[in-house]
Amino acid sequence: MTSHRWTGWTLAAALAAGASAATAQERVTVITPYLAQPGTQFYLDGFRAEAEARGWQVNVVDTAGDIAAVVSRLEDAATQGVDAIVINVDPAQVEAGLIEAQAAGIPVIGMDAGAHPLLATNVTSNGYAMAAETAAYVVNRLNGSGRVVMFVFDPFPPVQQRGVIADAIFANHPDIEVIDRVTPDVQDGGIADSRARMEAILAANPEPGSIDAVWAAWDQPALGALQAIEDAGRADEGIVITGIDANPQAREAIAAGGPFEASVAQDFEGIGRAVADATARLLAGEDLREKVIFVPARLVTQANAAE
Amino acid sequence: MTASLRRYATLLGFAAILVGFSVALPGTFPTARNLLNITQQVSMLAVVAFAMTAVMAMGDFDLSVGAMASLAGVVAASLFAAGWSIPAGIAAALAVGLAGGVVNGVLVAYLGILPFVATLGTLTIFSGSSFLVSGGRTIFGGAIPAGFGAFARGGVEIVGLRIPNLTLVALAVLLVLWVLLEHTSYGRRLYAIGGNAEAARLAGIRVRPLRASAFAITGLGAAMAGLMYASRVASANPTQGDGLMLDAIAAVFLGMTMSEESEPRIFGTLVGVLILATLNNGLTQLAVDSYVRQILVGAIILAAVASSRLGLSRG
Amino acid sequence: MSLLSIRGLRKAYGSAPVLREASLELRSGEIHALMGENGAGKSTLIRILAGVTPADAQEVLLDGTPVPLDTPADAQRAGLRFVHQELNIVPTLSVAENVMLGRSSPRRFGALIDWKRLEEQAAEALRRFGAAHIDPRIQAGRLPTGDRMLIRLAALLVAADSPPRFYVLDEPTAALTQREAERLFAILKDLCDRGAGVLYVSHRLDEVMALADRVTVLRDGRTVLAAPMPQVARADIIRAMTGREIPQDEVGRPPSTGTRTVLRLAGATTDRLSDLTLTLQAGEVLGVVGLEGAGQSDLLHLLLGEGRLLHGEAILLGRCLPRTPSEAWARGIAYVPRDRRQQGLMPGRSIVANMVLPHLARLSLAGLSRPRLEMRRTSAMREALRLRCASLSQPVRALSGGNQQKVVLGRAIMAQPRLLLLDEPTRGVDVGAREDIYAAIRSLTRNGAAALLASSDLSEVLSLSDRILVLRGGRQTALVSATGLQRADLLSLIFGEDPEPAAA
Repeated sequence: MTSHRWTGWTLAAALAAGASAATAQERVTVITPYLAQPGTQFYLDGFRAEAEARGWQVNVVDTAGDIAAVVSRLEDAATQGVDAIVINVDPAQVEAGLIEAQAAGIPVIGMDAGAHPLLATNVTSNGYAMAAETAAYVVNRLNGSGRVVMFVFDPFPPVQQRGVIADAIFANHPDIEVIDRVTPDVQDGGIADSRARMEAILAANPEPGSIDAVWAAWDQPALGALQAIEDAGRADEGIVITGIDANPQAREAIAAGGPFEASVAQDFEGIGRAVADATARLLAGEDLREKVIFVPARLVTQANAAE
Repeated sequence: MTASLRRYATLLGFAAILVGFSVALPGTFPTARNLLNITQQVSMLAVVAFAMTAVMAMGDFDLSVGAMASLAGVVAASLFAAGWSIPAGIAAALAVGLAGGVVNGVLVAYLGILPFVATLGTLTIFSGSSFLVSGGRTIFGGAIPAGFGAFARGGVEIVGLRIPNLTLVALAVLLVLWVLLEHTSYGRRLYAIGGNAEAARLAGIRVRPLRASAFAITGLGAAMAGLMYASRVASANPTQGDGLMLDAIAAVFLGMTMSEESEPRIFGTLVGVLILATLNNGLTQLAVDSYVRQILVGAIILAAVASSRLGLSRG
Repeated sequence: MSLLSIRGLRKAYGSAPVLREASLELRSGEIHALMGENGAGKSTLIRILAGVTPADAQEVLLDGTPVPLDTPADAQRAGLRFVHQELNIVPTLSVAENVMLGRSSPRRFGALIDWKRLEEQAAEALRRFGAAHIDPRIQAGRLPTGDRMLIRLAALLVAADSPPRFYVLDEPTAALTQREAERLFAILKDLCDRGAGVLYVSHRLDEVMALADRVTVLRDGRTVLAAPMPQVARADIIRAMTGREIPQDEVGRPPSTGTRTVLRLAGATTDRLSDLTLTLQAGEVLGVVGLEGAGQSDLLHLLLGEGRLLHGEAILLGRCLPRTPSEAWARGIAYVPRDRRQQGLMPGRSIVANMVLPHLARLSLAGLSRPRLEMRRTSAMREALRLRCASLSQPVRALSGGNQQKVVLGRAIMAQPRLLLLDEPTRGVDVGAREDIYAAIRSLTRNGAAALLASSDLSEVLSLSDRILVLRGGRQTALVSATGLQRADLLSLIFGEDPEPAAA
């Protein structure tokens, strides 16, 4: 008995939520496994602002890290017959879903996703350029010589490519030694585990001056490393920390003038807006020539962190 | 009366969900294509949940299935990248699953470690191994043979319907485990262990090897699901199967509400996974916010289990 | 002087009536026995008394005034206190803590527990009980069952603000040794002298007849007999309980004629048993008796493959001892464990599943189970043991204690074992079911099986056994023929006084 009543309520709620969908607007579904990441929120803010202005009905689907579920939701959106789909997941992993969307004639736009033939286009920052900015900054600050700890995350291609560029730039300087290349556990966002890993590295290198820089492929590990260094009382050793993405917490740390010196600001909202723009062009029937649309990024240091 | 109501409440709830979505989405939900899609979407979870039913029949459970699914995918993909053939890579990954399951079984049955602790430990080991084998990278693109990814996209025409390959694999696993658990003395003994392990032992049931073997089956099933997952996403990532574990346990619990004595039965588990998959599919189509969707799914699991408990205490 | 009177008690589960027209009159200063076969409604009546299960209809008068009895709080208010079969003591706490569990502990500085006073109060309560031998500081779980029951009773006595009017004891002696039981009886009599009433549920007819002042018998949910004990004879009670006459051949089965040796022990010694020497012939029943924990269960476990022989020799069915229970069953050794709930049954699984458990391999074809064959075999056992159940597919948890025990016994004898190991086979089983179980054991041994019967029910041992092995502290103190042996002789053997010489 009881379970009927519950099921009934649940369905009623679901139907009520669905009822608002029944208008004749253009419908765009955004599917992401990474909604909890702060960057994703900024993309969506930019995208939503533009979409609202254009009167689209936007549905955001988060699969909480499950890639196969992204394929499933792509299939569902194709069945549902939406007008366009935006994804921010490696398209190579969701090819089965992309094929379904293509079969249904629905364009799929990548939002910082990676290039793929089945994507109409992919809008992103130039990850190579961003990593080059911070890696070159580190080399510059160390005058081409020193010991560096890297925080990378290779399972996610856009972050992986940053690591590759940093590897290349550090390798290009014979007196730069990479003493550890850490992949932190990102379940909780990456700060806590990065901090723990950095504490271990500090313990293993107790001599002042034995670590000269921490290069992180995104801000959370940089913040974790900063906490570890400050806690160990080694903030005045001159260890240089750089991140990428320049999130608010990172900006604050950079503005404070401590070891965290630089990050690169991706224009997430700009990417979101550019995705909306590309979507609008596709909905208008245009065939996009660029398979990747780059949105510029900018180095953030103490000088401009407060902006 | 109360008892049968309790038994069928979950099934009726499932029917209500199907009817509700069909009414709300007449054009897109109750179509053969969409329903087949659902079976394909749920196939990996189904295989893990079916395999989980074997250990849960003994009153144990296995937290390492998600990590094992990830590991199996990564092992196969790495071997493909190293030039192994598809059958060889699959065989190796399944062997890893079997071996991992045996390790779980030995820890639980012979060393007497609680399943929660033992499989939490192996969860961490399997997960670490996935990162180690893959170097933390997602293995995709040219490294994965075209035929491997194509399998998940393929299907078999049966009376004009294209049944997805993954659905067929899940059905095969369902059939095998159904016979094994419900129609062999082997399965009866597993349920006996779940009914009262000490009594079973004193009645001459060889509890230890049986317990270990059931964990081996679960490990094998998890590896198979991991391969299905890797085929579906044509890539392997060291964390991709991790989410399967909680959903699988939830599905088995949902299914247990359908059994008179709250035992995990394979067809109950099937209904459990179908409920989860149908909710995900239908609520996505209704454009329900994904967080609201998550809350609804959790609430439905609790409601089903709670109502079966209420029925029990009344009866 | 209080009188609790319950009339017109009716209760049905679904369409199945359990109590049809039951009544009960409980007086202070009296021990009142409640008897009935399993399934007669005793347990339900007690649950209703405790306010745990609501009655469909009842009239409750306390000293002539109607009182409600719908919740545990009502029962508490009516002055009723319960000691259940499953003793709810907390095994990890000390005796003192268990005794004082229902009261707020004495404090020191308002916050810290004053352990010393707690122990003193508990010791005082135990002393008042004639249980001064129990050390209040040790862990309750390490006490023998009888002592646990005493601390439970002591806890009831101290927990109440005013002393309880009525104690309800459900099968209290089922797990007790003779000496523990005697001590309990003395305490119950003492409680009555102080003005309390005792409702005493037991299957042990002799015990009840010696102890109780008044008896009420239930059959099929009706009160069929209610009388002062001196006015009824043993046969009256049996007739009231069963509704039929039971042949009174208490002692005497034909001596077994088997000649084939099933078991030979020579100086067998384990970590719990020392220097056992005996032989057991096919068709023979060997009773195994002793004080609680004297090694009876250990001997059965050894033969089931659960122990290791340290010294001596053991030949069982022509070979050495089995190494595991599974090997034992495969060799034709069947076992009825002491505790059917913990060691015997899968409570949630069906009668069939419970009964065929050790025989699954024999009853299957190429690994596939054969439900119809299983059903036929189980059905045959149901007939043979007169098992009462609605359906063989129903979970055993729904059966009464006696019928549950029949399931465990049915499992053991289904495949015609060559050696039957019985540990307290009729504990908590009513008279009717007991006779059915005895008949099954006799029929099995007539057909050539041997049996080891460990039991604390001496009448049972005397009536079933050919010979009796007496153990004390794991040592063999006597091995005597049961023929002509008197209960008193056996008791003195058990308690260690020198017996009249009895030939083995």
